[in-house]
Amino acid sequence: MNDEILVIAELFDGRVLPVTYELIAFARAIAAGDSGPVRIMLPGMDVQAAARGLADETGMEVVALEGDALDPYNAEAWMTALVPWLAVQKPRYVCIPHTSRGCDFAPGLAICLSAACITAVESFRRQDGVISFTRSIFNGKIRMHVAPLTDVTVLSVLPGVFNAAEESQGRPGSSSLPGIKQDGHFIPHRSTGHVEVLKIQFRPEKIQALGVIPAATQDLDLALADVIVSAGRGIGAEENLELIRRIAGLFPKSAVGCSRAVCDLGWLEHKHQVGLTGKTVAPKLYIACGISGAVQHIAGMRGSRFILAINKDPRAAIFQVADAGIVEDLTTFIPLVLEKAGDLKFS
Amino acid sequence: MKILVCVKQVLDPDGPIRIDAAGQGIEAMPGALFRMNRFDEFALEEALRIREKFPGTRIDALSAGPERAARTVRKALEMGADEGIHFVLGDECYRTPFEIASLIGTFASDKHYDLILTGIMAEDDMQGQVGPMLAEILGYPWATSVMAVKLKDNGDRPHFPETIEVERELEGGRREAFELTLPVLLTLQSGINRPRYPALSHVLRARSQALMTIPLSQGQEKAPVADPAPRERIVALAEPAPPKTGMILSGSPMEKAEKLLLILQERALL
Repeated sequence: MNDEILVIAELFDGRVLPVTYELIAFARAIAAGDSGPVRIMLPGMDVQAAARGLADETGMEVVALEGDALDPYNAEAWMTALVPWLAVQKPRYVCIPHTSRGCDFAPGLAICLSAACITAVESFRRQDGVISFTRSIFNGKIRMHVAPLTDVTVLSVLPGVFNAAEESQGRPGSSSLPGIKQDGHFIPHRSTGHVEVLKIQFRPEKIQALGVIPAATQDLDLALADVIVSAGRGIGAEENLELIRRIAGLFPKSAVGCSRAVCDLGWLEHKHQVGLTGKTVAPKLYIACGISGAVQHIAGMRGSRFILAINKDPRAAIFQVADAGIVEDLTTFIPLVLEKAGDLKFS
Repeated sequence: MKILVCVKQVLDPDGPIRIDAAGQGIEAMPGALFRMNRFDEFALEEALRIREKFPGTRIDALSAGPERAARTVRKALEMGADEGIHFVLGDECYRTPFEIASLIGTFASDKHYDLILTGIMAEDDMQGQVGPMLAEILGYPWATSVMAVKLKDNGDRPHFPETIEVERELEGGRREAFELTLPVLLTLQSGINRPRYPALSHVLRARSQALMTIPLSQGQEKAPVADPAPRERIVALAEPAPPKTGMILSGSPMEKAEKLLLILQERALL
């Protein structure tokens, strides 16, 4: 084992995903304590230019792992490329983005490395010399602090959640954290990192990648709305969507959104879905109706300027991120609001 | 074809639950509900649809859990699984995904399943690990977050497909397609289908059908994983801090409605 932290970057259409920079900040925050250097690994087909760019931006060492079968993503090819190198290097932590692809290979990688595996990590804490990782369970109602019992640990880190500034507060040596601009990119680093290129020749036998299917064209643009009124499973019945639409109708530039559960029930189409697997939105006002507040949903709307939550469960996790919360049954409460709003307009 | 569906019994996250006295587990409060993990219902439904297309397919449903989990195995029979298998864990202690994947791997290593299906994650611990870990333990290729499944018929042996085409869900509504060679493990994303309600005939059959129960100790020596000891431990469970920035509006429903409209007006949103 060594004290190294390895960050596995994710590319899409040749661009480094922003979550990669969050992972680097996360890794550096851990390293600021008692761990060793941070390295970045970039798997793909033709990634040397992107690796060079990352090394310039971050001043960190980057390993470009190149193989024809690595792009598009292929679990079999990625495992075959990653495992032998990682089994020799034995980094203390392997940080992977908690994206669809990251979630696909992280657990299998942990098996191959006899490593601990902790997924959907939001932050970490250091207590009595033990580092534990924090994640949400039970739809965000409970937080779980987990510590690895092994030399190597595979972590998948939730995008858009880890706050580098928060972690470095009050800790000496926090100046080693990278400067991060608002858009999540690094302020260009003065020195540039070294790029190492590894090539792998491998033809997958059990999995053939057939390509990416683009999202269906969508006429509704949640991103343009000033106000989004979103429905969750807690609205109880499909006909209660009418209440949600009427609330949205109070505002000029509004749209109706929903949680994944509502799409799964077939009450609204996928284009309405807000969250990790749907749209990321940041309207002036977000009204969450009957939404429990699982991290997957919150990741898609936490940037909203004002969040209002209506839920009859006072322990719903949505209240953790809400600027104002109302504990009421929305089937009786929303009609009241609509009635009062009507009074306002005609007075 | 032989299909294994892994189903978990979970404590309904929307029900009354609390952290136990030791701070290591979640306990049910009065009125709490144990039920099948919703994501696993999609997996079971998909297996039933495959059996409709490929007659002669056998579906085993397996759950690892304490005594109460037998109820969820039986639910799988009611929905239409052919056999119910219960890995009986003797206590209520939390098992890490690796421990569960190792246990199921022990059971499945000599059963020659063509297809193993499970939900993308469990609603309680939300780890999403057991599926791909089990695949790696058994040496099966896998795909997670699957939104569409198409088994390719084989000309020579029509009821024995050799490959399967799947679409995985990516961020922002995109998908990526793969062709995998059987045997395969898939974890299914919610929304891939509409899980059916149990048919009366299945409910009646499930009532009298015996479950195959496996005590925890059995078969450890032939385990495909050398050391299935847990690789993580729970340091603590905690309730999130009470909302800091947020404010919970007080008063009667009518007063709350008035306050709400006032806030929206102040912020020039109405």
